[in-house]
Amino acid sequence: MTRFTLCTASALALIAAHPILAQDTSTSSSTDSAPSAAAPADTAPNAGSSDVTTSATDTGSAGQAQPDAAPQDTSDETSQGDETSQPEGAAEDTDQATNAGLGTAPQAQPEVGENWPFYGGDSNATRYSPLNQITPENVGQLERAFVYRTGDMPSAEAAGKYAGETTPIEMNGALYMCSAKNVLISISATTGEENWRFDPGVPDEAIPYSASCRGVTAYTDPTAAEGTPCATRIIEGTLDAKLVAVDASTGAACEGFGENGTVDLWQDIGERVPGWYAVTAPPVVVRGILVTGAQVKDGQAEDAPSGVIRGYDVKTGELAWAWDLAAPDQNIDGPPEGEVYTRGTPNMWTAAVADEELGYVYLPLGNSSVDYYGSNRSDAENEFATSLVALDVTTGKPVWHFQTVRHDVWDYDLGSQPTLIDWKGTPAILLPSKQGDLYILDRATGEALTPVGEVSDLPQGDVEPDFISPTQPVSSWHTLRKEPLQELDSWGFTPIDQLWCRIQFRRANYDGYMTPPSADKPWIQYPGYNGGSDWGSVAVDTETGVIVANYNDVPNYNQLIPREKADEMGLVPIDEQAKRSGGAEGAGDAQAGSPYAINVNAGWRSELTGMPCTRPPYGGIRAIDLETGETIWDKPLGTARNNGPFGIPSMLPFDIGTPNNGGSVVTAGGLIFIGAATDNLFRAIDIKTGETVWSDVLPAGGQANPIAYSVDGRDYVMIAATGHHFMETPIGDYMIAYALPEASK
Amino acid sequence: MTSTQSVSARTPVERHWAILVLGWVLVIFGAVLLAGGIWLIVLGGSWYYGLAGLGLIVTGALLNRASMAAVWLYLVIWLATVVWAYWEVGTDWWAQVPRLVAPTLVLVLILICIPGLTGRSRRQTY
Repeated sequence: MTRFTLCTASALALIAAHPILAQDTSTSSSTDSAPSAAAPADTAPNAGSSDVTTSATDTGSAGQAQPDAAPQDTSDETSQGDETSQPEGAAEDTDQATNAGLGTAPQAQPEVGENWPFYGGDSNATRYSPLNQITPENVGQLERAFVYRTGDMPSAEAAGKYAGETTPIEMNGALYMCSAKNVLISISATTGEENWRFDPGVPDEAIPYSASCRGVTAYTDPTAAEGTPCATRIIEGTLDAKLVAVDASTGAACEGFGENGTVDLWQDIGERVPGWYAVTAPPVVVRGILVTGAQVKDGQAEDAPSGVIRGYDVKTGELAWAWDLAAPDQNIDGPPEGEVYTRGTPNMWTAAVADEELGYVYLPLGNSSVDYYGSNRSDAENEFATSLVALDVTTGKPVWHFQTVRHDVWDYDLGSQPTLIDWKGTPAILLPSKQGDLYILDRATGEALTPVGEVSDLPQGDVEPDFISPTQPVSSWHTLRKEPLQELDSWGFTPIDQLWCRIQFRRANYDGYMTPPSADKPWIQYPGYNGGSDWGSVAVDTETGVIVANYNDVPNYNQLIPREKADEMGLVPIDEQAKRSGGAEGAGDAQAGSPYAINVNAGWRSELTGMPCTRPPYGGIRAIDLETGETIWDKPLGTARNNGPFGIPSMLPFDIGTPNNGGSVVTAGGLIFIGAATDNLFRAIDIKTGETVWSDVLPAGGQANPIAYSVDGRDYVMIAATGHHFMETPIGDYMIAYALPEASK
Repeated sequence: MTSTQSVSARTPVERHWAILVLGWVLVIFGAVLLAGGIWLIVLGGSWYYGLAGLGLIVTGALLNRASMAAVWLYLVIWLATVVWAYWEVGTDWWAQVPRLVAPTLVLVLILICIPGLTGRSRRQTY
C-alpha cells in the first residue's frame, strides 16, 4: 500500500494531464483482462478524495456502453479464448432463435392509473400513478380500507429468514400477489376478501438468503377469447426455482404452460442444492417471451449455479432461448446433453424491465461468483458483470451493455429495476446503482445521454493488484453517494464506543471510494452493498419531471479470510453445509474455490453496542430534477423510534435517517408514499417540499414497494407489511390498503 | 447529597460515598479512554481521547480526595470538549450525541458533588 501514499496534488495533476488516457475507447480494448494496461504506469492514487476527482466528462463513445453487435466483430467461436466476451452481431443470428413467430410483434401494454398492472406500475416501471384524489391537503384523513393477512409466516426452521418484499399488482378490482414463500393469492382490491389462492408448495429448505417474492407478472393473451382459461394469467418465479402460471380469475394452474402450469428452472443448471438458486423477482414479458434470471446465493463458491437468462414462450412455457454469457451460441437452445449452463457467471436477481417497442429486455446483472475475489474470472464474466444488458428477445442475443463497475469485487450488483423514460425526446433508460450513481442511457444504443465521468488512480491493494481496476465509471450527472468517510464520522453512544469505532476506522484499509478488499486488515467499503439504490428502485414523476430516490448511506466493514483460516473456522459453501446459516449476507461466507473467504460487517456496527459505527443519517430520500439532475430536496428517511443501543427501541420521534429497503410510489396528487425505513412507518411525503404530511404505524416492517390504484372512483394506496430479517424489523403477513373516508372522496 | 454547610477550610471532611463512587468510576472510564486513546494516537488518530482520559483520571483522583479542584479541572475538560466537538462536527446534533451527552452528564454529577468538596470556603476567603 505504500506506493499509494503520494500526495493528492500530483494525482490531480496526472488526471488533468490524461483525462482520457485510462479510458477504453474501443470495443476490443475494453475486454482486456488487465485494465491497468490502459492506465498510466506511474499513477499516484490519492487517498480519500479519489471519488470526487472525476475527469472531464464525456457523453459519447468513451462512456461505458459496449455495442454487442459491433460490425467489426466477426468472431463466431465464443466458447473459449480471449474473444469470449464479444458476442456476435445480432443480425446474422436471428434465425438461430427458436420458436419462429414468437417475439416478433409489439403488443399494446396496459396502462397505470385505475390499475397497477405491472410490478413497477406501468410497463416503463416509473412507479408513478396519475391518480390525484389523495393530496397533501386531505391525506391526513387517510384511513385503512382493509388489512389482509396472507397467513404465510415463518416456521421454526425458517425463523430469521423472512423478508417478503412483496408488491402486488392490481387489475380490474382484484389484487394479485405472492406471499414470502410463493403462495399466489388474489383478493378483492376494495374489501381484502380472498378470491383464490394457489400454493406451489415451496419447502423451507429452498429459502436462500431470504424468503422473498417481490411480485408477480400478469399476461393477457391478445388472441385468446375472453373467458378462456388462462387468457389472463398470473406468473411468478419461486424460491425453489420454478415458473408458475395460474389463471387470473380462478387461480387454477395453466395446464398449457410447462408441466401443469410449472416450468422447472433447475433444468440444465446442475446439482440441485436447495436455496442456492432461487427466483425472488417477478419475470417480465416482452413480445410474448417470458424472461427470467434467478438469484444465486452470494459468497458460496466459484463453482456456483449459472447466471443464465432464459426466455420462455409465455403461453406454453417452452424455452425460446437461453443467454449464457460465457457460451452464448452453444447454449442458446440449452446446453448440449450432459452439460450445464456455464457455472459461476453473473446473475440477475432483481427485476428487469421490458421494452415492447424495441423488443428488448434490459437486464440489471449482478456480480460474478464469488463476489470479493476476481482474478480467476473469465473474460466474458469481466465483460458483463455488474452491467445493464439490453437483450433482443427476438434473438436471445445482447445488443449493448453498460458496465457500472469494472472488475467488481465489492458485491455492487445492479439491484434496482431500471426505468424507461423519455429523455429530451430520446427513448431512454434510467439506471440507478448501488453506488448511488444515476445514469441515463439511450435505449437503442446504450450510449450515455448524461455525462459519465471516471475516477482514476484508484488503489489496487495487495490481494490481487493486477485484477483491481485503477479506474471506475461514475455518473457526473447525479449521484446519491456522499463524501468519503473520515475518522470524525465515527459514532457511538458514549465517547468510549465512539473511540472504539475510531480505532477500527484507523485500523482498517480505507482510501475512499472503491478501496479494494484486503486480508491483512479489515477494509471499509463505502457505500456498502446495501446501496445506494437497491431493489426498491426509484420512482419518476413523468408529468413534472422529478425522480424520487430513496437510498442507503451505510458502509460495510469487511475482511478477507485466507483459506487456511477459513477452514479452521469451518466456513463451507451451501452444498456442504449440514445446517444452513442465517444472518447477514457475507457474514462469514466460504467463497469456496477462491483463496479467501469473506467476512462482512454489514452496516459497520459496533460489537459493543450493536449501534452503527458511523454517524447518521443511514438513509435518505431525495427529489431530483429530471431535466437538470439537480437535487430539489434531500431528507433523512426514517425516525429513531424503533432503533437504539443494544437493540432497545429509543421511541425517539426524530428523523434520524435509517437504513431502508423498498421503494416509493409517486401520485399525481403530489404525494410520495413510502415505507422502507426501519421505523415501521408508512408515510406520505409532499413531493414539493419533502415534508412528511401523514404516517401510519405498520404492524410489521414496511420493506416493500407500495402501489396505488382506484376502484369505483375511490383511490387506494397499499403496502405490504411483511418485515425484513436483515433490516431487523418485525416479520408479518399484512397487506394494508388505505383510502380516504367514503364520504370525503 | 450531603447538606453539610459548615465545612472548614483546612480540615478534611468525611467523604461522601457517592463522591467516592463517582471518583472511581471516572478513574476507570478515564483509564479506558487513556488506553484506547493512546492506541488511537499510535494509529494516527485524534488526540482528544487520550487527553480526555488523562483528565478524567486526575478528576477522579481529585474527587476521591474530595478536592474542589476536581470541579475546576473538569470544567476545563468539559469546555475543551465542547470546543473540540464543535470543531469536529459543528451543529450536527446526532453526531454530537457521543461527544457531548456523556461528558455533560458527568459535569452535572460533579456539580452535584460540590457541597461535599473541600476548597470552596478557601475560595470564599478571597
